[in-house]
Amino acid sequence: MLSRVADSLYWMSRYVERAEHTARVMAVKLESMVEQQPEDARASWARVVEALQDTHWNDLPQDAPAITKRLVFDRENESSLLASLSFARDNARQVREALSNEVWGNLNRLYLHLSGVQADAIWVHSPAILFRDVLDEMQGLEGVTYSTLSHGEGWYFLELGKYIERVQLLGRMLDVHFRQGGVAPKYFDWLVLLKFCTAFEPYTKLYTASIKPQKIAEFLLFDPEFPHSIRFSIDRVTEALARVAPGAPPARRASVERLAGRLKASVDFGQIDELMSGGIATFLSDITRQCEKIHEALFASYITYGAETVL
Amino acid sequence: MQGEALANTEDFGGADPVTGPARAALAGRDAPYAKYDLGRAYDEMFAPDGKPRPPYIALDSRLTSLALEELVRRQQACEQSFLHQGITFTVYSDNQATERIIPTDLLPRIVTAGEWERIERGLTQRITALNLFLRDIYGDGRVLKDGIVPREMIYGSKHYRREMRGLPVPHGSYVNICGSDLVRNEAGDFVVLEDNLRVPSGVSYMLANRDVARRAFPGVFRSMNVRPIEHYPLELLATLRALAPFEQDVSIAVLTPGVFNSAYFEHAFLARQMGVELVEGRDLLVNDNVVYTRTTSGLKRIDVIYRRIDDDFIDPLIFREDSSLGVSGLFNAYRAGNVVIANALGTGVADDKAIYAYVPRLIRYYLSEEPVLDNVETFLCREDKALAHVLANLDKLVVKAVGESGGYGMLVGPHASQAERDTFAQKLKADPENYIAQPTIQLSTAPTFVGDGVEARHVDLRPFILTGTETKIVPGALTRVALKRGSLVVNSSQGGGSKDTWVLSR
Repeated sequence: MLSRVADSLYWMSRYVERAEHTARVMAVKLESMVEQQPEDARASWARVVEALQDTHWNDLPQDAPAITKRLVFDRENESSLLASLSFARDNARQVREALSNEVWGNLNRLYLHLSGVQADAIWVHSPAILFRDVLDEMQGLEGVTYSTLSHGEGWYFLELGKYIERVQLLGRMLDVHFRQGGVAPKYFDWLVLLKFCTAFEPYTKLYTASIKPQKIAEFLLFDPEFPHSIRFSIDRVTEALARVAPGAPPARRASVERLAGRLKASVDFGQIDELMSGGIATFLSDITRQCEKIHEALFASYITYGAETVL
Repeated sequence: MQGEALANTEDFGGADPVTGPARAALAGRDAPYAKYDLGRAYDEMFAPDGKPRPPYIALDSRLTSLALEELVRRQQACEQSFLHQGITFTVYSDNQATERIIPTDLLPRIVTAGEWERIERGLTQRITALNLFLRDIYGDGRVLKDGIVPREMIYGSKHYRREMRGLPVPHGSYVNICGSDLVRNEAGDFVVLEDNLRVPSGVSYMLANRDVARRAFPGVFRSMNVRPIEHYPLELLATLRALAPFEQDVSIAVLTPGVFNSAYFEHAFLARQMGVELVEGRDLLVNDNVVYTRTTSGLKRIDVIYRRIDDDFIDPLIFREDSSLGVSGLFNAYRAGNVVIANALGTGVADDKAIYAYVPRLIRYYLSEEPVLDNVETFLCREDKALAHVLANLDKLVVKAVGESGGYGMLVGPHASQAERDTFAQKLKADPENYIAQPTIQLSTAPTFVGDGVEARHVDLRPFILTGTETKIVPGALTRVALKRGSLVVNSSQGGGSKDTWVLSR
């Protein structure tokens, strides 16, 4: 597979994942907003903004419509939902020949849909409806991605993008809830955290409806079967790495796979009790840093390598 | 194409009542043709008496029985489908990138089996002569020694590539993909207006338009024995394969300038349909005169490149050094015979608008045959007598700059103001060798849906000619439409649209 194509597939998938995460968080946040007291709501918005944005906002807007506008519709904001979709689509367009009609068509329609929405108009009725619709469409996109593309090398680059991004997003979401200091999350916030991660029902199946921060952390970090857990995502990254660049020289492959093995070990053998006594922020930032290293090694080995190194 | 355009249309799958009551509508009188002008031009659908010509009877019967709103709905479904599939080009202005679709008309243009037979024979003859001409001018130059074509027209052309001299190309085929523009004159005869021998585009629209028209008029389509065109990508692949010096595991790539090029959709489409790599210049590198692409597993050799980049941009070492689209060293790899480039470099010298005037003579010279398809009468302004004639008749002629394409640098005399003509006359006198002139040909008109009815619009015809070991023409074409009432300019860059072309098998 062309290195450039792998590059675009990987980034397309990262941006789609980021867009889906943003849409889901927005839907849940807007649905749950009505149940909170003003100061709790403000603390909750601050966590959402920090979890979704790369950069810190010094000027958090006062009202939900203004925050929504920036998190969703502001093209100048590179982490907004619309910007993420636009980047995903730009990448998809560059590898149009590597995608099916269905995948391109779904992504393109989704982008055209959202870019045609007026930011102020969603407040006329229930604003969450837009995000539920977007999520439905994104699930359609995920479905055709799974069912209309061959599960070959390109598909595994999509998997890599998706799950590396997911680890980063989950890491940030957990960090803003578990870190010390600031307004501590209340019972309702823990419930919402589960919903942000589409984890409420799977969690209750395992731990009953007893909502405990430590159990939530254990579930979202270490559950091997839940798709939005960090451990599950890292397992997919490891698997995908074994399937890309089949013809690359062993030394080149080893440099990436070694890093992934180390990351996998740190979640496979992680102990929630140890983390809860204060080390969770360090643990999360370590996971995030390891993901970034895998990303860099992936590019260095398969995508941006210099021709002089192989001739 | 996608399903959304198919929604809630029971008759899309079923039969159209094409054999309903024979209500031969009259152009200019009956709905939906109330505003259909039958002018001086040959009309594809209606005879001068206003009655539909035989090949169009089924379509006419369907059109007169369909409600106008239904046509509007089908038109919208088609536009929606193009937009969703990303069959768009991007217009940049005020830092804003706007995506537009190239307008497509629902109504097919019909070419009879007899007409097609002549077109096919004529274009095959023409491309054969043009390939012989290219081989000659990059070889012995017999045609120049014999005084058929003036030397300075070749050596002075900005599209002549002296780097190509003495370089053999596979099967002597310089032009592997050609898109020739034909028009039908007032007498109803097809004549050649232009040969596009460099990087002709539009074939993806030929294929996309087929989906549109077939979906809009399924019953009419089925009843008419329209010849299929869907195998074009296969034929293109076979043509490219035939250019490689070996048969097994030929590695082929389509070279695109990238996603910002207006024809990018087509490049990606063809690569996908052929199942070959789509590459940009930055994906390729040349080492020891061999061309490779950078893949995740390492470097992979490329044997044949279908390039959609102009000569000038293909190799910054040899041609334009400011080009970032091309590949350094590509020309040397080509020269060394390690890679085939299609079309060959330097073909532009033969589709120059001045050389065009010589093509009938070239056919006689190389093939000892009379041209099957005529040229449009052409005045070479380089010749004094012709220049005087052109200057005296600017209000009746179309004047074109020889090196330009896409409708740029031209004057449509009858539609220009006196001031525009005066300005152009100055340019002509200053540089007569750069211009040719032709009488304004009334391009034929074809029925076109315009929102509140069906009106006559001028059209041309661009078939695509493939030449590897032999010449093949898929029985279809891009019919371009001048969407503005009365306009003769069909170029998509100047407000033209397109429609499907049905070549009948009998």
